[in-house]
Amino acid sequence: MPQNEVIQGLELDEYKYGFVDEEKHVFRTQPGLSEEVVRQISAQKEEPEWMLEFRLKALQIYESKPMPTWGGDLSKLEETLDEIYFYVRPQDRMERSWDDVPENIKNTFERLGIPEAEQKVLAGVGAQYESEMVYHSLKEEWESKGVIFDSIEDGLKNHPELFRKYFGTVIPSADNKFSAMNSAVWSGGSFVYIPKGVELETPLQAYFRVNQERMGQFERTLIIADEGSRAHYIEGCTAPTYSTESFHSGVIEIVVNRGAHFRYTTIQNWSNNMYNLVTQRALVHEHATMEWLDGNLGSKLTMKYPSCYLVGEGAHGNILSIAYAGDGQHQDTGGKVIHAAPRTTSSIVSKSISKGTGRSSYRGLCKVYDGAVGAKSNVECDALLINETSRTDTYPYIEIEEKRSNIGHEATVSKVGDEQLFYLMSRGMSEEEAMALIVRGFIEPIAKQLPLEYAVELNRLIELEMEGSVG
Amino acid sequence: MAETTTIEGVTEAINRAAVEARSHGEPAWLAQRRAHAWSVYESLPLPTTRREEWRYTDLRRVLDLDALHLGSTEAGPDDPSSYPERLRATMNEDHEAAGHLVFIDGAVVHTDIRDDLASLGVILMPLRQAVREHPELVESHLATEAVPPEEGKFAALNAALWSDGVFLYVPRGVRLDNPVRVTRWISEAGAAFFSRTLIVAESTSQVSYVDEILSDDFDTQTLASAAVEVITRDGAQVQYVSLQRMGRGAFYQSKQRTLAGRDSTLDTLNVTLGASVSRVDLNARLMGPGANSDMLGLYFGDDDQHFDHNTSQDHEAPSARSDLLYKGALDGHARAAFRGIIRVHEGAQQTDAYQTNRNLLLSEHARADSLPNLEIEADDVKCSHGSTVGQLDDDHLFYLMSRGLSREKAERLVVVGFLGEVMSRLPLGGVVEKVTRAIAEKLRA
Repeated sequence: MPQNEVIQGLELDEYKYGFVDEEKHVFRTQPGLSEEVVRQISAQKEEPEWMLEFRLKALQIYESKPMPTWGGDLSKLEETLDEIYFYVRPQDRMERSWDDVPENIKNTFERLGIPEAEQKVLAGVGAQYESEMVYHSLKEEWESKGVIFDSIEDGLKNHPELFRKYFGTVIPSADNKFSAMNSAVWSGGSFVYIPKGVELETPLQAYFRVNQERMGQFERTLIIADEGSRAHYIEGCTAPTYSTESFHSGVIEIVVNRGAHFRYTTIQNWSNNMYNLVTQRALVHEHATMEWLDGNLGSKLTMKYPSCYLVGEGAHGNILSIAYAGDGQHQDTGGKVIHAAPRTTSSIVSKSISKGTGRSSYRGLCKVYDGAVGAKSNVECDALLINETSRTDTYPYIEIEEKRSNIGHEATVSKVGDEQLFYLMSRGMSEEEAMALIVRGFIEPIAKQLPLEYAVELNRLIELEMEGSVG
Repeated sequence: MAETTTIEGVTEAINRAAVEARSHGEPAWLAQRRAHAWSVYESLPLPTTRREEWRYTDLRRVLDLDALHLGSTEAGPDDPSSYPERLRATMNEDHEAAGHLVFIDGAVVHTDIRDDLASLGVILMPLRQAVREHPELVESHLATEAVPPEEGKFAALNAALWSDGVFLYVPRGVRLDNPVRVTRWISEAGAAFFSRTLIVAESTSQVSYVDEILSDDFDTQTLASAAVEVITRDGAQVQYVSLQRMGRGAFYQSKQRTLAGRDSTLDTLNVTLGASVSRVDLNARLMGPGANSDMLGLYFGDDDQHFDHNTSQDHEAPSARSDLLYKGALDGHARAAFRGIIRVHEGAQQTDAYQTNRNLLLSEHARADSLPNLEIEADDVKCSHGSTVGQLDDDHLFYLMSRGLSREKAERLVVVGFLGEVMSRLPLGGVVEKVTRAIAEKLRA
């Protein structure tokens, strides 16, 4: 069965970011989560009293909420959580100059190609190592226009009023169990403010790295795109592969004010021992546009449903989601669009590939409230299955209270067709080339939306993994 | 009986004593089965909206079990002239039939079957009679393979308390050219009726079956509960049609399961027009390779009607096909929920499974919720689902009005056309006309 061998050879999940650095930290909490741990984190950050109270209250909420029984398998998570470090401080302070970042951390990010990218294509870069941002910088031209791109801790210190006005308003602690957990132990992440009318020509990027074994990372990002502004924020994530489980649970809050346009791109490539449970939500005001580009390639289990709350008339939400589930992986991803104002529009496009024993699930919500006259939404999900043992699920929720709206949902599931392969091979392609071409064609509608370097990377990944796969 | 009062769903009328009363004079196996079903019923909580399948229907709000008494089981005379006017009218609309069964308030008042079919071994009779006369056929199928009490609170309650029902058996190779028609009339307000239908089609046989339930409006809540089991053996062809046209005040609940054998065709059509609350659970199991199920649904709600359709398509064998199309229009404050799931089990390769739910909102206050789900554990499959919620197309209306139709007439035509697609896929004699007329009546109201 040569075709089968080709399929087996589609080793998309060979992980090249699994290297480990020597472990060095200046402080870490005891394993597990407790009030003591929360107090220590707050003390380490020298926070104002209100933030400590906010954290402690969130801890109570976390403890009162049951573990979700839907989505992925979380039955062993509680055990894992008892063992992990909720806070690891890698260095004493955050650096503004790349040269000042400690050698071992710098090496890591250099291997990941971050400084090179910063010079070439980015407006600003933040890098988080374990629990803290170790580096944050913004190009002079944007700083002078009033753009703020800082670590979340510095956001709280340097812009207390702006921070407090929005923090925890888009995603309240009580939203779900993991938003409560994050609210209690958050550390690291970005604070971004784009002033009125400012249009960033190149993206801001934040990079998240977990190096320590049995580590929990809880980044918290707050972004405010003010009226008429335009910006693009990219986050990337990797970690070494350990035999024990690690945990990442972020909360990303975004406010897109009137007429602004904001795009948030995630390329999540965590190692396969990572639980990745993230809450991402944008509040989208009049005639503003929010775009989520969500790429989930790594982790053991991801549960993540970026959402757009379209609260202003004419607001638009766009969610593009691509998931790849290889052996032992479960990508439970999708998106939510809430139409709460007239003439709001949205679109969700999801593409997933399941290979080996991988499972990808689309889970989404399209809700139109009474009064959201003229709302339009379209949801499309396509799933590609590579092996007999692969699995895919689709769970779309559609709740419509408004007559004057138009809502559609479509999903398809297919495998790579023999006819397609045969056709390409009859044109002189090898099986592996044909397979690569079909898979690339499948993800193309999303890949073309990615910034060029990511699109190239994604395509290269798929091509590379197929090389030499026919014996 | 202090301990029973604490169990959810056990009331003055609905309790173990009532189950024992129903068992009176029945064979031991059936009495045991009822007793077992009752134990299951007691052990299960009333489903809450926290359960996915009940997300959109809050039983605590829409069903008052405590207020119900059990419907009488005494059969009236078999005299068509004494039938209620609407029952007679709807029966007169029916075309030719292979046989009839007529229920009034849960009891069978009339049975007939064409002599030539009876002589070929076709059995159509009240379920209670079949228990006595064909135990070998009934015992193995009734509430075992298809809708056992373990399926849920309502399935258990029905299995414990059913008063009568329909038994239809078609022997190997026998093909019925006309449908079997069952008509049910309910008039006793405040009562609960439990009925079962068991259809077994042996290999290469063919039958179509139309079950219609109707009533006037009730001033107190009245429950009609149905459990439907349809089994096709290799190569058999069955069409099952259910028309629900009950009055307001009715709570209609139907739990249906179809078991399709190798290369058999097992199609269903559920038409939901009446009752204040209607809940239909349909599970199609494609058990033999090459099995085929078309699953059709049509609903039209107005005022404050609440319809909930919960369907599932289980592909357990390779090379089977299922295609679901549920379409509904909603006016007034009506609300409809559709939840469907396609499950392609491991090893069910070459599956073709489709699922479509389309909703038309005709009023400001209508609401539609749709959850079309997929769970796929095989790779060589073709599956898709689609779901839409929309309003009347202005272009369609404009076109018709430019041809001289009033707005009302144009709207009616568009709605009938929208829903008509469903019936065109299962064009059974008499059903299309009857449903079209019922929709037109609702549109005029």
